[in-house]
Amino acid sequence: MTTINESAFDVEIRKAVLRSKLKERHRVETSFPRKRKEEPALAELRERQPAFRGLEAGHRACQGCGEALAARLVAEAAGPDVILTNATGCLEIFTSPWPQSAWRVPWIHSLFENSAAIAAGIEAAMKHQGKATKVIAQGGDGGTFDIGFQALSGMLERMHNVLYVCYDNEAYMNTGIQRSGSTPHAASTTTSPAGQERMGKRHLKKDLLSIIASHHIPYAASASVAYPRDLRRKVRRAMEVDGPTFLQVHCPCPLGWGHEGAVTIEVARLAVQTGLFPVVEFERGEVAGVMPLRNPKSVTEYLKRQNRFRHLFSNDPRAREEREHLQALADRNIEKFNLRGEGMDPLDSEGADTVRRGGLVA
Amino acid sequence: MLSALEGSQAVARAVGLCRPGVVAAYPITPQTHIVENISKLVADGQLQCELVSVESEFSAASVALGAAAAGTRAYTASSSQGILLMGEVLYNISGLRVPMVLTCANRALGAPLNIWNDQQDSMAVRDAGWIQLYCADNQEAVDTTIQAFRIAEHTEVPVMVCVDGFVLTHTLEPIDLPTQEQVDRFLPPYRFERALDSRHPLSLGTCVDPLFFTESRHSQHKALLRSMQEIVAADSDYAGIIGRSCGGVLSVFGSAEAEIAILAMGSVCSTLQEGMQIFSQERVVKLIKLRAYRPFPVSALREVLQGVRELVVLERALAPGSGGIVGMEVRSLATTMNSPPRIHNYAVGLGGRDVPIEIYPRLIEAVTCATEPVWFEIFDVEVERLPIEDR
Amino acid sequence: MLVLTRGSYALPGTSIDFKTGTWRTSRPLHKHWAAPCHSACPAGEDPQAYIANVQENHHREAWESIVHINPIPSITGRICPHPCEHACNRGRFDQPIAIHSIERFLGDEARQRGWEYPIDLGRGAGATVAVIGAGPAGLSAAYHLRRRGYQVTLLDALPEAGGLMRSAIPINRLPRDILDADIARILALGIEFRGRTRLGVDVHLDELRSDYRALFLAPGTSKAKAWSVDGAVPTDHRTALELLQEWVAVGSLPAPQSVIVHGGGNTAVDLCRAMRRAGVKEVHLVTASGLPGPDTEPDDIINIVPRELEQAIEEGITLHPHRTIQRLLFRGSRVVGVEMVTLRKLPTKSGQTGRIAFEGTETLLHADMVIPAIGESVDPTGLGTLLGGGREYLWPGNPFGRLEHTPGLFVGGDARGDRGTVSAAVGDGRLAAAAIDSYIRQSDDPEVMSRAVITFDHINSSYFEPAQRVEEPTLSVAERTDTAEIDRPLSSAAITHEANRCFSCGSCLACDNCWTFCPDNAVVKTVALAKDGSHYVFDYEYCKGCGICAAECPCGYIVMEAEL
Repeated sequence: MTTINESAFDVEIRKAVLRSKLKERHRVETSFPRKRKEEPALAELRERQPAFRGLEAGHRACQGCGEALAARLVAEAAGPDVILTNATGCLEIFTSPWPQSAWRVPWIHSLFENSAAIAAGIEAAMKHQGKATKVIAQGGDGGTFDIGFQALSGMLERMHNVLYVCYDNEAYMNTGIQRSGSTPHAASTTTSPAGQERMGKRHLKKDLLSIIASHHIPYAASASVAYPRDLRRKVRRAMEVDGPTFLQVHCPCPLGWGHEGAVTIEVARLAVQTGLFPVVEFERGEVAGVMPLRNPKSVTEYLKRQNRFRHLFSNDPRAREEREHLQALADRNIEKFNLRGEGMDPLDSEGADTVRRGGLVA
Repeated sequence: MLSALEGSQAVARAVGLCRPGVVAAYPITPQTHIVENISKLVADGQLQCELVSVESEFSAASVALGAAAAGTRAYTASSSQGILLMGEVLYNISGLRVPMVLTCANRALGAPLNIWNDQQDSMAVRDAGWIQLYCADNQEAVDTTIQAFRIAEHTEVPVMVCVDGFVLTHTLEPIDLPTQEQVDRFLPPYRFERALDSRHPLSLGTCVDPLFFTESRHSQHKALLRSMQEIVAADSDYAGIIGRSCGGVLSVFGSAEAEIAILAMGSVCSTLQEGMQIFSQERVVKLIKLRAYRPFPVSALREVLQGVRELVVLERALAPGSGGIVGMEVRSLATTMNSPPRIHNYAVGLGGRDVPIEIYPRLIEAVTCATEPVWFEIFDVEVERLPIEDR
Repeated sequence: MLVLTRGSYALPGTSIDFKTGTWRTSRPLHKHWAAPCHSACPAGEDPQAYIANVQENHHREAWESIVHINPIPSITGRICPHPCEHACNRGRFDQPIAIHSIERFLGDEARQRGWEYPIDLGRGAGATVAVIGAGPAGLSAAYHLRRRGYQVTLLDALPEAGGLMRSAIPINRLPRDILDADIARILALGIEFRGRTRLGVDVHLDELRSDYRALFLAPGTSKAKAWSVDGAVPTDHRTALELLQEWVAVGSLPAPQSVIVHGGGNTAVDLCRAMRRAGVKEVHLVTASGLPGPDTEPDDIINIVPRELEQAIEEGITLHPHRTIQRLLFRGSRVVGVEMVTLRKLPTKSGQTGRIAFEGTETLLHADMVIPAIGESVDPTGLGTLLGGGREYLWPGNPFGRLEHTPGLFVGGDARGDRGTVSAAVGDGRLAAAAIDSYIRQSDDPEVMSRAVITFDHINSSYFEPAQRVEEPTLSVAERTDTAEIDRPLSSAAITHEANRCFSCGSCLACDNCWTFCPDNAVVKTVALAKDGSHYVFDYEYCKGCGICAAECPCGYIVMEAEL
């Protein structure tokens, strides 16, 4: 961990913010104003945290938002010398309601489908200016798997020095939980609802990572919010590469998946531990590493915690069939990526989140 | 120094003189030669810029947006369907107040597929919040391109330079390219105050709620209106350094007292100007060459329309089901005049239909004989070519 | 007036002005639970707390944390049946932490490195207190009184301090050099020790009461309980404690061909093992308790150190759990065996539990000698009316040992009647010292802080790895003698490994999980501001109350509390 000292500019900005009349801005007040006296020391302490805070508090993500957490961790690991782009989506909306922004790094939102292209333009500009600032493009699964796929593919093919991070919460959450190319098979969404005739989404989750890896880029990996140490390592690894890199970060959406915000991490962990979300790394198109599963869990463990799969536990015989189908898909992932671990491994699905006194070894 | 250059090549060379840092290139006829020529400049080491050969016009505009937002002078060019594919980004660039320059090699929109010239494409994005400057010939295209960067950077409003496809882009003309030293004097290095910079981490493209969206639109509207002065100032400074002017927002040819006037945009102006000379025995006529369509120069137009009794508005696009596009705006402007002219609105030269020089006397005859003003007609349509029920 | 920025840009980090804390309906709180090891420790130690110090390699702080409670960790680390380990939540995951090994290690380190007790001796010159009995309870009371600045006189009938630890614990379980050294270290704090001073003979209660502001009675239990089976008693009747004390003192034991020991404590097992080593071929232990295992209720498990039991079995002792002796078999006047019957501890009609014998399960067991090890009672000599009415113990009826009708008199250790281990005696001494202090200062009894005990379901075990528990190396059966310590010490590395297995139940592990997993940056890392022993504070201005921190706290240290 590194301590980021506040730059003179930070101080200037902060003073400017204080000076300006932004304080009088319109605020959403709840009907329950609470009186809490914050010790001034706490606010001061925020400025001296032993990690760079790229994403500030006060953003409007839902309680327990996996995407907010993933973005926070990515911004932390990436550090201050970056420029971020952001596809339209929850992340953009909840971080940037004018006149406020939760970002402490330069950030731009343009459109839904052009995060990668905007990033490519910025990267070209950085090259032209002779700057080493890394460009990170961000998008949700809709903006990455679907509408932004073309721009992403082009960016990768042109070998821009851009890290693209896809926050994969498996549906269009910002617009109200519509199915995307990333929505898992049989999940119920507002455009793939479960009903008399249908058991949720009829199609499979797109294997985007393999497609991305097939661009022969230096580094492409999947990660999960449940394993922050692994995620941070992958961000740093990608930051070091001079060329296009890609991270697919699995992050539950409590609202869209139908679980309590408190179990976001547990659900994410189960996605990995069942094999439904394989955590793997590709280098130049070939599998370069996996997070082995020590004791693969039954997909039922994962499915039963989420309302989007609730119909899979009905009496309908197809419910059983779809559960088996999902189990078979998980098994296929385990086989395909050779995920089954051998014995105890400090980097496997059980060991990778082990804690010790004094904090995670980053 | 004059040299014979193809229109596209001349524009490319002009862009090169402006020292862009990032150029996004994507092929589409008839624009392709522009990015090809820029690519050649880069390949030959005559231009130090990042040439990003993107996978679509959508990304071309996005790359240019990103680059400009990051503080680098950015440029791209397109046509027709490409302009439409960019459409979403165009609105975004102007809304973000990111300055950049785009050349639109004007071409018809499909279907039916047609690669030839009209101005339906730039008309389709006339409300995207961009400055639109139309060029009558390739010398103007060169000069306007160079001026466009300065206008954009001074106003923080993006500029679209409209150059008729094929008619200009593929035509060889003697062109006087300014020297690098002259352009450098005219166009200082790009500096964008709100540039994305890790030492000054601003957030661009935030979400503005109904409490402030109205003000953001008002501010954009005003910025475009104010850019009028900058268009004139850039043109006059350019004349001071390079010795040539494009006439600011509009220019008038012919007698100021003429009671008949023709208003047009783009290369058709050159045709009409020639017609005026050839058919000078006809009635006294003046030609109003509209260079700035956005911002729409209301007061300048009102001034040149004083005393005009018959006005022909000639355009190379239409609003199906309504009529002319430029014509409609001129007509609404005329309602604010004490003695407005009768306005006759025609579309000509759609999808590359030839606009012969004879159009000039025919138009004059048509309007002088008309008992009623022509609300809108496609001037050269031959309805016999259509089945009866479609005429 | 708020003014729209051009292109509607925003300044960095300005969302900080938006206090998302107003969204919350429940908030996280740090809850410092009692770890089960702490609540189970009769001495009152908090192993979780000192293991945390060991994890950071702060051995001295760890030791100081123990001796704040218990002055003799190197002794209790060796001989306590460590109920802490039975309670340990880690036992539900793989195996409990070897707390006793860590305790012993720290005690040994302190002695070997000469760490001084963290006591401000300058506080002396307080009132005088006499402590009668220099066993673990007396030593503990003397120590804690000394810590509080009192002038302490420690009296004992024997020439040396130590009580049963010296007279009855086998040397191969508690080497005497260690005992001597630890006692010497305690006495060196300025405690006056007077040996060979028997209550009621050399000194009398009344004079002590007038000479001292308060008395702490820890005489132990030295009077053998009357033992008979249906009125029958063997002619060679000796109690286990007598035999054990004799063996410890002079090294000799009777050596019949076979022996039956009746009882379920350490005395019984120690004697069994000593007799076996002395050459007795068949040694039977008949006990009403059960052996550790899934079928035995925790309070029904034989009350001895588990590894002692294993070693006893290793050495060839035959165990007869859940049995009692129903009848002695005689040949003439000589005992030749017993009739045993199976029994279980079960709830009875009265609602309490009792041991119920099952008819039809009678079996015979032949042996040359039957030795009762069913406990001892208080020797009434010198106690006057304190022990009237045929009572065997002093039964103070409160945790501080205060004798309600005799102001200034406190009692602890085995003499209480409800204790049975050295650790419990140490705990008595500590609580009595606190109560004596209050008594002398004429204030109320000290408050006994009790925290809720955290159960395994509050632990998020995803964050822990299975890891083998360390075991102290032991001498092989062939190598074992009456004097050499059987359990050998562990290395510092092994202790660190073991400490790192600790779940840190109910206390902050400083693992960063809450800080790492908060999507809202509402957990702030700190050392200075966290007044509750954690390394983090919640920033309620921003906390939305999602509960991730509580769910992902490995230690159960964060709980959610509903807010209106």
